Amino acid sequence: MRKTIISLVIPAIIIVIWAVLTTYTGIIPSYLIPSPHDVFEAFKSLLMNGILIKDTVDTLSRVIIGFIVAAIVAVPLGILIGWSETVENYLSFIIGILRPIPPIAWIPFAILWFGLGLGSAIFIIFVGSVFPILISTADGVKRIDKVYIESAYTLGADKLQTIKKVVFPAALPNIITGLKVGMGIALMCTVAAEMIGSNNGLGYLILTATSMLDSASAIVGMLAIGVIGLTFEYIFTRMERKLNW
Amino acid sequence: MVFKIKKVNKNFQNKTMEMEILKNIDLTIEDGEFLVLLGPSGCGKTTLLRMIAGLDFPSSGTITDNDVPVLNPSPERGFVFQQYSLFPWRTVLDNVAFGLEVKGIDAEERYEKAKNYIEMVGLSAFIESYPNQLSGGMKQRVAIARALVNEPDSLLMDEPFAALDVLSRHKLQKEIIQIWQQETKTIIFVTHNVDEAVFLADRILVFSERPGRIIQTLKIEQERMRDRTSEEYLDIKRKITGLLETNQKF
Repeated sequence: MRKTIISLVIPAIIIVIWAVLTTYTGIIPSYLIPSPHDVFEAFKSLLMNGILIKDTVDTLSRVIIGFIVAAIVAVPLGILIGWSETVENYLSFIIGILRPIPPIAWIPFAILWFGLGLGSAIFIIFVGSVFPILISTADGVKRIDKVYIESAYTLGADKLQTIKKVVFPAALPNIITGLKVGMGIALMCTVAAEMIGSNNGLGYLILTATSMLDSASAIVGMLAIGVIGLTFEYIFTRMERKLNW
Repeated sequence: MVFKIKKVNKNFQNKTMEMEILKNIDLTIEDGEFLVLLGPSGCGKTTLLRMIAGLDFPSSGTITDNDVPVLNPSPERGFVFQQYSLFPWRTVLDNVAFGLEVKGIDAEERYEKAKNYIEMVGLSAFIESYPNQLSGGMKQRVAIARALVNEPDSLLMDEPFAALDVLSRHKLQKEIIQIWQQETKTIIFVTHNVDEAVFLADRILVFSERPGRIIQTLKIEQERMRDRTSEEYLDIKRKITGLLETNQKF
């Protein structure tokens, strides 16, 4: 509780300074930075006409679908890479070369292959979040104390059982950390993708509002993204803590 | 007999050199015997135990368990590690039930059986605890229960009490003797502690420093529980300590 209050101090100060500089003194003209009041009014009208909720749902569903696809591919593959040196040798070069390519660079190809809309957004999110999950999972598997694996073998587990019942849970804290990082990147990718190849979602909201000089609505869109990110961060951090044996 | 170890040599290879770990080990371990492998650290006694378990393999020679070559780990040969090896994400109950779970035994039966073994090591009050809530001695008790639940013919123990304080160590030594008498298992126990060896063993194999060879075999006939202060007990300890010291190179 005390932590929550402390964390709100600086945002409160920022809002006060912001209000003073815009509404009360007019030092900063409203076309550069809209006043807190303008932002609140924009928030109210975007909420009332349903646009904010619709765009949030659009963005969220893209993020979640793309993220789940990435996790379904990255977690098993990461376990395999961490488990088997042979698999790692086969894949390390190709992963090493694909990983540094910014997901945004794939947008033209995504549009060519999947057209405008959900398909290409999912692809971009996938490209962005698959690597952090993969690397974190493989790393987690490699760090497992050998004594757990040897215990499983001496207790009669075969390889598959050992991977399912020992390797996976032992690497789970690292996997969750990978998912947390991957989710953050997924959100950034979605918004970037929406700004280029989409006609809905929070990225699209920000872009259209900016182009109509409605900077108050743009800030509403930006804050909505921040709130989504914060919520996911909170969920994953809670999961991490629960797994801290 | 249970284990036959014939002409076993073990070398470790690293980038620059080959190191001899064990040299020419010949050994038969009888059914129901409490055998202690005693020696200075680095003498290869743990490596020998791991090879008997199937966690490691000889460079030459053969190891058989009831005439079957040991090629991989098996629940028939329970293993208790020196390090704490309980799965930290599982409760005591689920740790002990692990061996039955991978065998496909249904939950009700495996929990009932696991509880019996947890009771045997005196931890019934802790079945829902996680390993990080237990002391070192309790963790090793759970590890013993976890190995026993598979009803192995033999129990291989790699310095299981090395990290414990003297009082807990003595307590666990008594408990392992009780379990051994009650369950009639073959136990192979690795230690560098002379007192522990003399307290536990039917037979002690004393190893030299690397490369490890068996320099002496001692049978101990004294009745259990052994009195650590008896003249006979102290004599054996003195003899072994002298033997280890005269074979010390550095």
